[in-house]
Amino acid sequence: MPEATKPGASATRKVDLAQVKPYADHLGDGIVQMSFTLPVPYGLAARKAAQELAAKMGFEHPEVVHYQELTDGYTYFVMFGECTQTVDYASLGGDGFDIEYMSEDEIEAFAREHIGRPVVVVGAATGTDTHSVGIDAMLNLKGFHGHHGLEGYKAFQTHNLGSQVPNSVLVSRAIDLHADAILVSQTVTQQNLHVSNLTELVEIVEAEGARKQMILTCGGPRVSNELAKELGYDAGFSKGTYPHHVASFIVRELAARVSAA
Amino acid sequence: MTAHLSQLTASARRLALVGLAKNTGKTVALAALLRELQAEDRCVGVTSIGRDGEEHDVIDTRIDKPRIFLAAGNLVASTDALLRASGVAHERLTQTGVRTPLGEVIIARLAEQGAVEVAGPSAAEDLREVGETMIGFGAEHVLIDGAIDRRAASSPDVADGLVLSTGAILSTDLEEVVARTRDAVELVRLPVAGENAAEQRITVTRRLALDAEPTEIATLLREHPQTMTLQVEGALGERFLEGLLAACKDLGPPTRRELRIVAGDPTKVFLSHRGPSWYRRQGLCIEVLQVVGLKAITINPVAPQSHRFDSRQLRELIEAAVPDVPVLDVLDRTYLALAK
Repeated sequence: MPEATKPGASATRKVDLAQVKPYADHLGDGIVQMSFTLPVPYGLAARKAAQELAAKMGFEHPEVVHYQELTDGYTYFVMFGECTQTVDYASLGGDGFDIEYMSEDEIEAFAREHIGRPVVVVGAATGTDTHSVGIDAMLNLKGFHGHHGLEGYKAFQTHNLGSQVPNSVLVSRAIDLHADAILVSQTVTQQNLHVSNLTELVEIVEAEGARKQMILTCGGPRVSNELAKELGYDAGFSKGTYPHHVASFIVRELAARVSAA
Repeated sequence: MTAHLSQLTASARRLALVGLAKNTGKTVALAALLRELQAEDRCVGVTSIGRDGEEHDVIDTRIDKPRIFLAAGNLVASTDALLRASGVAHERLTQTGVRTPLGEVIIARLAEQGAVEVAGPSAAEDLREVGETMIGFGAEHVLIDGAIDRRAASSPDVADGLVLSTGAILSTDLEEVVARTRDAVELVRLPVAGENAAEQRITVTRRLALDAEPTEIATLLREHPQTMTLQVEGALGERFLEGLLAACKDLGPPTRRELRIVAGDPTKVFLSHRGPSWYRRQGLCIEVLQVVGLKAITINPVAPQSHRFDSRQLRELIEAAVPDVPVLDVLDRTYLALAK
């Protein structure tokens, strides 16, 4: 095998983190695979239309690698194209965006060393939201995908209040239980209702003078750290979150607060 | 003719901009205010309880958001990463130690003019400190932008004045937009409770205020037959008010009375279904110990990706519904003409 094509050869090439672009065959090729459907009948004209559209999206050398009729009058495409844009990853990696996740054992050891008492976490699906699956996955012993929920950790004392819990009731219980963290799950849609329910919780905690004593985290399919910041939470968790992600954040944040106090 | 936003808010050293919902035009009002203050060469400090100056809406990315342009010498609270990404030269003045989901908040002074993303602390206590720090660094005005429908920025601990933003996003029904705006204004202008030494006042426990059943509230009223005033130290919400109404009904005519319920300030009162006047008609007068002065209302007649109203009509209807507060549309021709 010639030197240049050895597996891993390209990996040793230096990545310019200030100008990152997509990678397919070799670093910097910018190749993106995309798929979409157009409401046009299958045929050469459809293929040409897809190519033109991809070019308008800013891709260079757009190429249709697969296309098929979905149903009458609709064609599905898989395309490659070269992205000419880059992002400055170096300026993003610095702070805030990344939480370094720990394993279950590491979390237990970290909590023992830095906190030294059980961390009290109160969770609920609030307002009219009946979806308790998110909160159950994070808190209950069973967890999901083979990852324990927080209930299974020695470091945590958990209280799952279930679904459709009014914000005022959740806050009252959390204060009674001396909660270190509140975990709420909410399906955020483009409607204001769900968002208002999340902001109301923050504002009630604030009105009770307890905001600085509690870590507030929220989770749901559309929740990001950016949204969490808008909502007034300390962290937001989205799809792909496992209990140890939430646990890592809570113990780290609590330890930082303990040492700052 | 109305005055400039900067004139209307001049007396408030720390000004909170609070919206009734997302996309009611808080940041547009902030941008207008910044333009006016910069034209007067004022040293301004800007912070946000959410995040401002981002290009797209965080929930609906189809919506473009207004940018925040600051002049050289202005102060801003944001995270290191967001400031660096803005590419605007700045001097870091202090680390606040406040951690947010986007990173630690720093206070910086711009070395040149430019568009920045603003992301300050969320908690009222931290916000108060950032305001004081900015004033210490020479800010003549501290502008605190709200986020979504959060009102914490308008707590008397944090702000000396308030601008409310409302708009078409609240409802497709014009009357409903006006009614909800009126309720919100009534809430921020709740009557301030006077001191009456003779009256009997009891303090409602936190658990009772947040989580009580009507029967428990009835017991409380029965145990204190002379009490006319209930003091709530933390959050006063609808659950408690509804419980009070039910309890009053159960107690029947001999003990039925008008009650005053006193909360700390309007940010501690949570009403989402009915406004204060509705409760007053039922015999429950909600009062507060402190308020923050409402300086102006701004309107956004456009609901992004949905509908729009006539700016003038919406302004006139709100002016009629809420006396004594200037109502502005900072993007309307009449306001822009004023600015020239």
